[in-house]
Amino acid sequence: MALFVVFQTTFFLTLLSLRTYQSEVLAERLPLTPVSLKVSTNSIHQSLHLQWTVHNLPYHQELKMVFQIQISRIETSNVVWVGNYSTPVKWNQVLHWSWESELPLECATHFVRIKSVIDDASFPEPNFWSNWSSWEEVSVQDSLGRGTLFVFPKDKLVEEGSNVTICYVSRNIQNNVSCYLEGKQIHGEQLDPHVTAFNLNSVPFIRNRGTNIYCEASQGNVSKGIEGIVLFVSKVLEEPKDFSCESQDFKTLHCTWDPGTDTALGWSKQPSQSYTLFESFSGEKKLCTHKNWCNWQITQDSQEMYNFTLIAENYLRKRSVNILFNLTHRVYLMNPFSVNFENVNATNAIMTWKVHSMRNNFTYLCQIELHGEGKMMQYDVSINVNGEYFLSELEPATEYMARVRCADASHFWKWTEWSGQNFTTLEAAPSEAPDVWRSVNSEPGNHTVTLFWKPLSKLHANGKILFYNVVVENLDKPSRSELRSIPAPANSTKLILDRCSYQICVTANNSVGASPASIIVISADPENKEVEEERIAGTEGGFSLSWKPQPGDVIGYVVDWCDHPQDVLQWKNVGPNTTSTVISTDAFRPGVRYDFRIYGLSTKRIACLLEKKTGYSQELAPSDNPHVLVDMLTSHSFTLSWKDYSTESQPGFIQGYHVYLKSKARQCHPRFQKAVLSDGSECCKYKIDNPEEKALIVDNLKPESFYEFFVTPFTSAGEGPNATFTKVTTPDEHSSMLIRILLPMVFCVLLIMIVCYLKSQWIKETCYPDIPDPYKSSILSLIKFKENPHLTIMNVSDCIPDAIEVVSKPEGTKIQLLGTRKSLTETELTKPNYLYLLPTEKNHSGPGPCICFENFTYNQAASDAGSCGHVPVPPKAPPSMLGLMTSPENVLKALEKNYMNSLGEVPAGETSLNYVSQLASPMSGDKDSLPTNPVEPPHCSEYKMQMAVPLRLALPPPTENSSLSSITLLDPGEHYR
Amino acid sequence: MVPSTARPAAGVVPLLLVLHWKHGAGSPLPITPVNATCAIRHPCHNNLMNQIRSQLAQLNGSANALFILYYTAQGEPFPNNLDKLCGPNVTDFPPFHANGTEKAKLVELYRIVVYLGTSLGNITRDQKILNPSALSLHSKLNATADILRGLLSNVLCRLCSKYHVGHVDVTYGPDTSGKDVFQKKKLGCQLLGKYKETIAVLAQAF
Repeated sequence: MALFVVFQTTFFLTLLSLRTYQSEVLAERLPLTPVSLKVSTNSIHQSLHLQWTVHNLPYHQELKMVFQIQISRIETSNVVWVGNYSTPVKWNQVLHWSWESELPLECATHFVRIKSVIDDASFPEPNFWSNWSSWEEVSVQDSLGRGTLFVFPKDKLVEEGSNVTICYVSRNIQNNVSCYLEGKQIHGEQLDPHVTAFNLNSVPFIRNRGTNIYCEASQGNVSKGIEGIVLFVSKVLEEPKDFSCESQDFKTLHCTWDPGTDTALGWSKQPSQSYTLFESFSGEKKLCTHKNWCNWQITQDSQEMYNFTLIAENYLRKRSVNILFNLTHRVYLMNPFSVNFENVNATNAIMTWKVHSMRNNFTYLCQIELHGEGKMMQYDVSINVNGEYFLSELEPATEYMARVRCADASHFWKWTEWSGQNFTTLEAAPSEAPDVWRSVNSEPGNHTVTLFWKPLSKLHANGKILFYNVVVENLDKPSRSELRSIPAPANSTKLILDRCSYQICVTANNSVGASPASIIVISADPENKEVEEERIAGTEGGFSLSWKPQPGDVIGYVVDWCDHPQDVLQWKNVGPNTTSTVISTDAFRPGVRYDFRIYGLSTKRIACLLEKKTGYSQELAPSDNPHVLVDMLTSHSFTLSWKDYSTESQPGFIQGYHVYLKSKARQCHPRFQKAVLSDGSECCKYKIDNPEEKALIVDNLKPESFYEFFVTPFTSAGEGPNATFTKVTTPDEHSSMLIRILLPMVFCVLLIMIVCYLKSQWIKETCYPDIPDPYKSSILSLIKFKENPHLTIMNVSDCIPDAIEVVSKPEGTKIQLLGTRKSLTETELTKPNYLYLLPTEKNHSGPGPCICFENFTYNQAASDAGSCGHVPVPPKAPPSMLGLMTSPENVLKALEKNYMNSLGEVPAGETSLNYVSQLASPMSGDKDSLPTNPVEPPHCSEYKMQMAVPLRLALPPPTENSSLSSITLLDPGEHYR
Repeated sequence: MVPSTARPAAGVVPLLLVLHWKHGAGSPLPITPVNATCAIRHPCHNNLMNQIRSQLAQLNGSANALFILYYTAQGEPFPNNLDKLCGPNVTDFPPFHANGTEKAKLVELYRIVVYLGTSLGNITRDQKILNPSALSLHSKLNATADILRGLLSNVLCRLCSKYHVGHVDVTYGPDTSGKDVFQKKKLGCQLLGKYKETIAVLAQAF
């Protein structure tokens, strides 16, 4: 066993030694190690360029060799790339190879070495790798120049989405360096204390002016400078789309494509991509000057097949597309021309056109499109040179547009552009009778018929309608008919017809002829049929109407209504078997009441009103509130009324009214309910469901209370607009009662006053009759008749004088006496002065006991005479009358004296005269001054009318003959007591 | 194409050629010899200094708008990092001393206008390629360049007619043709920032 182990070990060692020996022998025999390795750098492309040679090639022949290349960064052990490069090698040939570094070369030292092996089947020797060449060091940091911070790569051009490595070299390791891409800080990997690299993955395209990337060196907060680079990111070059070529004349091929995004960059880093056209059969190439088309000249008539390659290229990428085609299959004809129309009439025309000739026996497929009246018709036709097509079934008086395009009929490739022309067909007579309707107003003795018709559609008018003929034929008197021509575009006319049946025919006429007639019959019976109006509810889509069929044969129904606000009669014809329809039109407006009348048309074409319907397409809330009057205001109630409010002219059917009442009382009155207004305030609400009930008595109110009310109508859409409440204050309860009492009283008083005024004479005579004048008494005549002197009136001599009391007012009366010139002011009169006329003789034997006293101051005659100086004293009255005094002379003197004084000195009005009745008892005066012998009451006495007159006027002038029957002149200083 | 450093060495081409720079032209003008005659093709305007002042005021009035239009069109980070990217730290910008004599100030103004003219030409060229749709910026750049050309002509006339200065050593703006796009943006922004700052000083000094 041990022997076996020793043998085995010896065998393997021998084998290993043999293998090692063989390699060494071969290597020595073929020393193919690459030599003269030189490495240079290209900063623009960030690439290392290697060149080397291989010595000692055994034969002077080309051998295929494989070179393995190792690249290290910073230090030799940090191998960053290993790869093989296989190429034929000749003896003493200098080989070149490049390697692009991801990391900018300025940021790190690179090391390169290389070894080789022969990989050629013709070489009989076994192949072994050569030894590595020595490491070749490449460093460009030394050439950076002055500065402390450098950022690389400079102005690098990359494609959008690619990965980029940037780096900075900071010569001062104490600096803190931060780098930013478009303002955002980026973080990298430190390669050595001076160098940091940043891997930017999938860089975006931001702008064609490049992207600023910068690094800032700082120590603490102190900036030591900013350095940066501009990275030019290009859009990815797109493959051209829709590449195609075609010929219009077999001389030139016109190739077009969609170039896609322009990849040009600023700073001339990259121009727009270029396009090159390459044709493989001919081997020709053309650089296109436009970015989306290129013309290729056809030089060989015999070449029919073409294989084109379109190559798009920029600095970063190359794209290509390929098409293979037969030239005859890519014929794009030139547009047809000379499009014309011949033999155009009302319904057909002939269209002609021409095409550009291509080759002999070339067949064209042409397509014709006819546009008119909103319709389009298409026709295909094959032609050789000149095209022609018969257009039929055209509409009269219609403008058409006809156009044509063509293509190669043998190998359809593409239509030409359209070539077209407009034409108009001729007119024809209108093909349909106008739609006619009427409204009839019956008046005594005649009918006013207004005919309406709708203009014919263009389809039926067949031209321009010039006028309408209206033929009115009296059916009761067939011989009489009337023709009226109404020029277009009128759509109505008014006829006044008598009480006969009339047939009216309406035709529309254009320049060619008349349309069929539309016939309508107006019966002799007036249309006074009373039909109850029914309310209907409209919808946004219109009004849905239905009606009971008319008994008997009908040829149809007509529904008419008026549009608002134009107030134009509209109508709709409905077939005889239909008893419902929907009236829908854009003219319906919310809040407008529409009245529909449904007529049945008899076989005699007489319209009979069947039903009336009214409604709103959409009811709205009332637009205004009624004007409410307050009546019968009492302390406990008032009445609200709004009789003038029209329920018909509202934007909805008035369903009733809401009466809102506000009061200080929290409780609502009976019949009222509590409600909350829009402003949040509470009030009482009363609902009136009858729209015609336009009054409300609000009772159970408190006197002297303040109430507010508001009346608003409501429809199905809501109430009327908000408005202010009207204020009412109930009156006081007593004041009304007072008014009830006072008013009749005032009335009565007024009545009495009026009666009194009217009966004043009667009252005067009844209540205070005039004092009779004795002189005027009838008894005088009787006396005169008897001639009895004793019975004369008021003869002084016949009378027993009575005492006269003269009272002079003591209050400051100033009387200057004429004789003495003594002022009365000097004498204060504190007591009234009386002058008494007393009987002087006890045994008086006079004619009678009558005392006659005539007061001149109240003399009627004096008052009548004005300044009359004579008192109508009986002329026979002797002055001895004054002899009743103790001494007539004395009395006279005294009288004269006083009289003179009075006349001369007493101004009128300054002295008052108090009259004491002759009948008056002296007891009525001052008792102390009364005479001891009271005067016997006279048996009779008589007054004359008394009238207060001023003394100046009343007294006669002071003549000696003056005889005053009873005059008392007062002298305060000389009066009797 | 345009040197980025000053070339004060003497040249042989007449000074008038300076007036015909084009956008992007950056090649150095050889300086006229010291003893070259002062030749002007057209007679100078009587009121040159007023015209110069007016042109400076006009430039000063539009400089800020041009600056804003420019940095806005460059995108982030320019509008929000003006101090770091657009600071007026242009190292080879010709100096100006406001307290010098009129002649000295005119000479310095001349150098500045030449520098700005070439720089604006480069910026205009770059922006037309980079931002072909920024028409407002292009228009503003062209208008500024036009005024600068007029100003240069007037300064030259003044120097020539009054001070008989036949040549001035000039420097040109930095050549941006070899720079990467970010550097072009940055240099343009720095230059316009410097222009805005300088033109205010110049308008004040005259």
